Amino acid sequence: MSVLHNPVTTKELRSRMRGRRAFVVLTIYLLLMSGFVSLVYLVYAAAANNPFGPDPRLAGKTIFGTVVGIQVLLVIYIGPAFTAGAITGEKERQTYNLLRTTLLPARALVTGKLVSSLGYVFLLVLASLPIQSIAFLLGGVSLIEMVVAELLILVSAVAFALIGLFYSSIMRSTLAASISTFATALFLTVGLPSAALIILPLIGGVFFNPVIASPVAEVVLTYIGLMLASTNLPATIVISEILLLQEDALFYTMQTIGGYTVTIFSPWTLYLVLYTLLAVILYVLAVSRVRRIPDR
Amino acid sequence: MPTIIDIQNLTKRYNGLTALDDLSLSVDEGAVVGFIGPNGAGKTTTMRVLTTLLQPTSGSAWVAGHEVTREPQAVRRAIGYMPDFFGVYEDMKVWEYLDFFAACYDTPAAARPGMIDDLLALVDLGHKKETFVEELSRGMKQRLCLARTLTHDPQVLILDEPASGLDPRARIEMRELLRELKHMGKTIFFSSHILSEVADICTSIAILEAGQLVAYGDMEEMKRKLRAHRLVQVRVLGSLAPLQEFLLRRPDVHSIAAAPEADLPRDAVRFDFSGDDDALSALLAALISQGIPVLSFSEETGDLEDVFLQATRGIVR
Repeated sequence: MSVLHNPVTTKELRSRMRGRRAFVVLTIYLLLMSGFVSLVYLVYAAAANNPFGPDPRLAGKTIFGTVVGIQVLLVIYIGPAFTAGAITGEKERQTYNLLRTTLLPARALVTGKLVSSLGYVFLLVLASLPIQSIAFLLGGVSLIEMVVAELLILVSAVAFALIGLFYSSIMRSTLAASISTFATALFLTVGLPSAALIILPLIGGVFFNPVIASPVAEVVLTYIGLMLASTNLPATIVISEILLLQEDALFYTMQTIGGYTVTIFSPWTLYLVLYTLLAVILYVLAVSRVRRIPDR
Repeated sequence: MPTIIDIQNLTKRYNGLTALDDLSLSVDEGAVVGFIGPNGAGKTTTMRVLTTLLQPTSGSAWVAGHEVTREPQAVRRAIGYMPDFFGVYEDMKVWEYLDFFAACYDTPAAARPGMIDDLLALVDLGHKKETFVEELSRGMKQRLCLARTLTHDPQVLILDEPASGLDPRARIEMRELLRELKHMGKTIFFSSHILSEVADICTSIAILEAGQLVAYGDMEEMKRKLRAHRLVQVRVLGSLAPLQEFLLRRPDVHSIAAAPEADLPRDAVRFDFSGDDDALSALLAALISQGIPVLSFSEETGDLEDVFLQATRGIVR
C-alpha cells in the first residue's frame, strides 16, 4: 500500500483540512510569525547605533534566526502533539479495533498517521518560508545556511513526530501519551543540555586539574561536548552556524587542541544520523506494537 | 455443511480470572448462531479471539480454515466484525466512512462507488449518503456499522450485541437486516441479551455461562432437549373432576394445575407430560375414549427465556 494510496492518510487529511479550522490556524500562525519577525526587526533597528539604520546583513540574520527558532519550537512541541493523539484517539473513539480487524497493515496505519500529521506541520513550515526569505532580501544569510537549517528541521519534525506516535501506540489515553511525549521532548531539548552543563564542568575540573591535565583528555572532552551538542537541535543549529561563519566549515574543520591537530565535525551531520536512527527505531517499535495481537 | 468456525479447547485467563474455560464449539457454514449468556459469561472474549483482537491463553480457533493467531490476515479477510461498543468517525460523510473501510479492505477504488450504493440500499441509508455520520441516529449508526462489516463481502459476520441500545423500532429493523443477510448465505455468529430476537432468526443457539458452553445445538432440538417435561393444557366442557381423576392415574403426567391456584381459565387444566409425540397423541385418544368432552388440547411452547434459565440454572452463584 503506497503512501499516496494510504486510506488513513486520505481520511486524516480530509478530516483535518475540512472546515475552517486548519485555515484559521494557518492564518493565525503566519500573522503571529509576521508580527514577531516585525517586532524583532524594529527592536533590532531601534537598538542599532547607526545613523544610516541597522546593518541589513545583521538584520537579515536576526530575522532568519527568529523564523528558524519558531520553526524549531513548532516541530519539537507542536508537531508531536498531533501524533501523540493519533493512535490513542482511535482507541478512545473505539475505532481502533475496527481498524485492526481490517486488512490494513500495521505499517500502513502508522505511516498514514505519521504522514498526515507531518503533512500539516510541513504546511506550516512551508508557509513560513516567504517570511524567512525576507532575510535574503536583506542579505547576510547564505543558501547553504538555509538548506542545513531546513534539513535539520525536516528530520527533527519526523523524529519528534515519531516520539509522539510511539507513545500513542503503547498507551491507552491521549493525555498519557501527550505527557510522555512532551516529557521526552523536554528531556532531549532542555534536560540533556542542562545535565551536560552541570556534569561537563565537573569532569572538566578533574581533567584540567594542573596535576593530571593531559592534551588527550582535552580532545576527548571536546568530542564529548560535540556529541552531546549533536543530540540537541538548538545547540546543533547554533554550533553548526558558528563553525560555518567563523571557520567556513560546512562538514568539518581542523583544529589544534593541546598540541594535537584534530578534526572537528560540524554537529548537524551527527544530529541527522542520530535522529534518523531514532526515527527508524521508533517507527519499527510503533509498527510492531500495532501489529501484535494483545493478550489482554 | 462444512464447518466455518471451529473453536477447540479455548481458554482465556486474565489475572487469575478465567474468562473462557476449555470452550469447544463449531459452526457450520450458512448457520445463524445466537451466542447467549449473562454478562461476564465470556461472549465478548470469544468474539475477540475469533476476530484476532485477543491472544488466547491456550486452545485454538479457526475461521474459514485459518488459525486466528497464526493467520490473522486471512481470518480478517473472512470476517466482518461489529463490536458491542464501537465508535464512528463523526466528521466523515456516510459514503466516506464506507469508502475508507472498503479501502482498508483493499477494495479497488473503481469498485467502491457502486458497492457503497448497494450497501447503503441494503441497510436503508441510501438517502443519507452525503450526511455527516454525527447527524445519524443511534440505529442508523448501528446499520452503517453493519454495512461497514460487509464492504469486503465476508463469509462470516461476527456481531457482538448488534441490537443493544436500540429502540424497539430500530431493533426490528436490525432483525430484518440480519434475516436478509441470512438469506444472502452469510454465516452469522452473534451475541444478544434479547433472547426472543435470537429465537426469531437463529438456526442454532450456544449458551455460555462462566466461560463454559452449557448448551449448544439446533434451536428446536435445544428447546426439546432442555425441557424434561412438556407442558400441556386441556380445556373441557363441564366439570374438571373426571379429567383430573383420569390424569392422576397416568404415570407420565405430573404437576396437574387448575384455577384458582394456577393462572388458567376455569375450564382448563395444565400438566407436565414426560412422553414423546406418540405418547401425547395416545393420551388425547384415551381422553376421548373415556368420554371426556375435550374442547382443546395443546402443548405450550416454551420460549427461549425458559431454555436459557433452565440451561444456566445453578452454574453461576
